[in-house]
Amino acid sequence: MNANRDVGIVAYAETKITLRGGRSAYDLAADVFASILDSTGLEVSDIDGLAVAETMSETANPFWPAYMADMLGLSPTWLESSGLGGVSAIGGVARAVAAIRAGLCKTALVLSTDAQSSKNQSEQGGQRHEFQYPTGLRGPTGVFGLLMRRYAHLYDLDPRALAKLAVTQRNHALLNENACEKLRIPLTEEAYLDSKVVSDPLRMLDSVMVCDGANAVLVASEEVIKEKGLAKAVYPTAYSELTNYKAFDSSAEITETGFSVVGPKALEQANLSTDQIRMFHPYDDFLIAILMQLEQIGFCNVGRGSDFILNTDLSFTGDLPLNTGGGQISAGQPGLAGGGLNLVEAVRQMFGEAGDRQVENPANAMVTGIGVIPIGRNWSTSAVMILEQ
Amino acid sequence: MTHRVLPIPNSYMDTRPFWDAANNHVLMLQRCDDTGRYQHPPRPASLYTGSRNVSWIASAGKGTLYSWTVTYSAWPGHEHRVPYICAYVQLEEGARILCNLVNCEAEALTMGMPMKVSWETLAPDVCYPAFEPA
Repeated sequence: MNANRDVGIVAYAETKITLRGGRSAYDLAADVFASILDSTGLEVSDIDGLAVAETMSETANPFWPAYMADMLGLSPTWLESSGLGGVSAIGGVARAVAAIRAGLCKTALVLSTDAQSSKNQSEQGGQRHEFQYPTGLRGPTGVFGLLMRRYAHLYDLDPRALAKLAVTQRNHALLNENACEKLRIPLTEEAYLDSKVVSDPLRMLDSVMVCDGANAVLVASEEVIKEKGLAKAVYPTAYSELTNYKAFDSSAEITETGFSVVGPKALEQANLSTDQIRMFHPYDDFLIAILMQLEQIGFCNVGRGSDFILNTDLSFTGDLPLNTGGGQISAGQPGLAGGGLNLVEAVRQMFGEAGDRQVENPANAMVTGIGVIPIGRNWSTSAVMILEQ
Repeated sequence: MTHRVLPIPNSYMDTRPFWDAANNHVLMLQRCDDTGRYQHPPRPASLYTGSRNVSWIASAGKGTLYSWTVTYSAWPGHEHRVPYICAYVQLEEGARILCNLVNCEAEALTMGMPMKVSWETLAPDVCYPAFEPA
């Protein structure tokens, strides 16, 4: 990634997030595809690149991206299957930018769609049938319970900081018509603190609710932007990704994540410091993950996350607007399309189209992704993207 | 009597040495022959060298408590056991194992507590390593 504005994100779209909506990932995708064509005035034949995130609802199909191209009437010269979990959207954008620069295509749709709460075909296998499932660990929730306890042992974890994250994001969801209706009810810090403990010390309101939904962004070359007279664009000026941090170390500290590498790298690429980041749209599968990213990307020192959160106005009118659409925790997690939720919100904000929750002067945004939660170590993939005007 | 969820041996590689030893109440770990370092869960290759030079070595079955979580919302098949404790134990050999904790109360647990393996019989001929305070 470099600071040239030679490739930009020129459009975004998302569906409403629904719980057990019953529509397929294909059907949800059609909504966002039609919306993007509508907002850009482009034709189907103008889109020659397609990246599709993996799903939970269609994952039994090894040819899923090609099926999607067929469903949408596309003949891409670049077709990408993004199996990076919650990194698939920003990872898809980064790969689209590289593909466009390499001349593989000119205009790429980066699509994420999943009907996980209606249909889940995933069988994650690997070592799990032998070394995980028999213990009864409750998947990512259990892993993050272990992570939270470890963090709380090493540093000061103030539940009021997590409560503030929960309430801030919930307040943002109340202003977001696309958020899942079931989650669009006001939340107080007391209600967060009283919520059911699912995998101690992790509470139900620390984590996402799995839903259905689709989102997409359109990535285009400068040439296409000029030729088609596309009015709006924001530019990815940095991207850094790392999978399986400290792969070689069986004793690696589980609270130390790939963000300690990719955060600083991305900031360096964009020649920005955390002070200059206008909005933060972190992957929020769990509230503790937001706190850990703030620390390891460098907004505050490791161990000081609770203080930082308690002393920073994270609302959309504040110093560091956080997931202004509610994040996945308060808008709902549309399965493996979840990584695109916060990306789309960042683009929407930077296009000045966020209405009642518009951030003033949205000069840039940092969007992150987390992909796959293994056992015995920190999460698999960490990624950071910076968007600028 | 409700059945425990059983491991499926050899589901991704030949793990028979682990499961055969488990039934004799021995905890096996893979050791990289070139570096002498241990790894768990088992993998087809050494994490450290990428080679196939790995051997199965009997672990002392001792370690320290690295983290734990009390599960109130069960993983499917475990509803009848709630609440139960899942934990990471850092084994003396340097590898880390996900396990249940038995013979202890969650309130009495402390980070770094010495732990030792305690074999659970999930079914006739199926033993599984849990850990308990040493």
